[in-house]
Amino acid sequence: MRRVLPLLLLLLVLGACRNHQSANQHPKIAVVVSTLNNPWFVFLAQTAAARAKELGYEPRIFDSQNNTALETDHFDDAIASGYKAILFNPTDANGSVVNVNKAKAAGVPVFCMDREVNSAAPTSQILSDSYSGCVKLGELFVKTLHQKGTYVELLGLVADNNTWNRSKGFHSVVDEYPGLKMVAQQSADFDRNKAMDVMQSILQAHPDIDAVFCGNDAMAMGAYQALVAAGKANKVKVIGFDGAEDAVQAIKDGKILATAMQFPKVMAQTAANYANDYIKGKRIFPAKIPVGVEVVNQTNVNEYMAYGKKN
Amino acid sequence: MSMKKAIKYIVWVVVLLLVAFKSVYIKKLSDVKAAKSTSFNAATYAQNFWKNKLSQAEAKAVDVDELFAQLKSNPKEAFQKYGHAIAIGSTRFFMVKGKGTVRQITADEVELNTTGANNTQLATTYVFGNAVRDASGLVSINDFTNTIDLSNVSGEIDKIIRKQVLPPFRQTVKAEDHLEFTGAIELNEAHLNLADAEIIPVNLKIIK
Repeated sequence: MRRVLPLLLLLLVLGACRNHQSANQHPKIAVVVSTLNNPWFVFLAQTAAARAKELGYEPRIFDSQNNTALETDHFDDAIASGYKAILFNPTDANGSVVNVNKAKAAGVPVFCMDREVNSAAPTSQILSDSYSGCVKLGELFVKTLHQKGTYVELLGLVADNNTWNRSKGFHSVVDEYPGLKMVAQQSADFDRNKAMDVMQSILQAHPDIDAVFCGNDAMAMGAYQALVAAGKANKVKVIGFDGAEDAVQAIKDGKILATAMQFPKVMAQTAANYANDYIKGKRIFPAKIPVGVEVVNQTNVNEYMAYGKKN
Repeated sequence: MSMKKAIKYIVWVVVLLLVAFKSVYIKKLSDVKAAKSTSFNAATYAQNFWKNKLSQAEAKAVDVDELFAQLKSNPKEAFQKYGHAIAIGSTRFFMVKGKGTVRQITADEVELNTTGANNTQLATTYVFGNAVRDASGLVSINDFTNTIDLSNVSGEIDKIIRKQVLPPFRQTVKAEDHLEFTGAIELNEAHLNLADAEIIPVNLKIIK
C-alpha cells in the first residue's frame, strides 16, 4: 500500500493537470477550403475562421489545393483530431461526397460554403445563388450587345456545380435571342493563366468576337489579358463572376463590363454560426440556403468593394 | 470424370450463377413508373402556380403608391412588411398593384405615371429573374431538393409572362392609355433606387 499510494497521488495530480489544460482549450473547428491559390477563397476561409474564433472556437484552415485526395487527408485528420465541425468549401461536387459521408458517420457536422456537393449528407449548404446572378448578367449581356453578335464562354471546373449553375443561368436568357451566337465554349478551370492560354487559342480561330462570358473573375482577368495582347481589349466585352478585388477595379477602369458580386462574408459567417448552433444542440437546419448575388457594372461600381458592399 | 474435375465444374457453375444473379435486377413496372413521375417538372409547377396560386398573392398586393410612400418614409419597415425573398441578402421582392397613365412606350418598357403621381416602368421585353416567384411569398426553398429546380420555376413563370401576358398587351397599348396592373418589383434595401424600379407584369388591363 505504501508503494501504491504515491503512484495514486501522482496519477491524481496528472489527471488534475490534464483537466485544467482541457478546460482552457477551446473546441476546434476545421475550415477545409478547395484552394488558397485564389484570393476569393482565402477571404472565404479566413472569414469563416475569424467568425469561429469570435464564437470561442479554435479554427484551423486546411488547403485542399483543388485535390480531392488531399481533401480526404484533411477530413481524416480533422475527424481523428476531434474537430467539432467542418466548414467546408468542396473541391468536387461528386468527388467530395465521400469525405462528407465519412465526417457524418463520425458524428462531425459539415457545413458547405459557396460550393455544393451532390448529397444530402451535409448538415447545411450555404451557397451563392449563382444561377440567378447569371440570369442578371445574361440580361445585361443581351442589352449591351443589342441582341446580336458572337461570343465565347469560358467555363470553370467541369466537376463543380457552380460552373453549370452559372452557365445555365446565363444561357437561360441569352439563348432566347437567336442573334447571339456562341462560337466557342471551353473550360479554363476557374484559373487566370489557363483562361489566358485558352482565350489566346480561341482568338486565333475566332478573331472577330464581340464578347466573352467567364464563370469567374480570375478567368475574366485572364481573358482580358489575352485580348490586350491581341489588341482587341477595347472591342470585346468581358463579363466575370465573383466580385474579386481586381475585377471590381477593372470595372472602374472600364476594362471589363461587369461581374456578379458574391457575398463570401455572409456565407462564411452563416456557416460558422450554424456550426456553433449545432455544437450547442440545434439539429434542424435548412438543407440549402441560397445567398443573393448582385450585378456590378460601371453604373454602380462605386457602391461596392471587393467581396461585398461598401459600407 | 475425376472427382477433382467434377468439383471444378461445380465451382464454375456456382460462380456463373452468382454473376448472373448479381447482374440482373427485377423491379416492378409500377415502381419504375412511380420513380419517373416523381422527377420535377418546372413547367407544370409554374402552370399550376400561375393558374391556382398566384391570385392569393395578387389579393395581398400592396398599392404601388402606398409602397413608394412607405419606402420613402420608413424603408426598413416597408421591407419587413411587404418584401419577400428566398435568398439571404438585401434584395427583396414586392407584389404590387396600381393604376396609371402611359407616358411613353419604348422598345423594352412602358413608362407610367401612377394615380399617386409616381413615375414607374412596366417591363415589356426583358422579363427574367425571380421577381414574381419570390414576391408571391408562396414558394419555399424547403419544397425543393435541388436549387436548379427552384431556378427553373422562375424561368418557367417568366416564360408564361413573356409568351401569354405581354404579346397582346404590346400590340394594343398606346400612349395616354389608362392601365390597371399587378406585378412584382425587385428592390435592394442597401441600394434603394425607386426611380429605376421596374414592374414585372402579372396582370395588365387597358381601361380606354
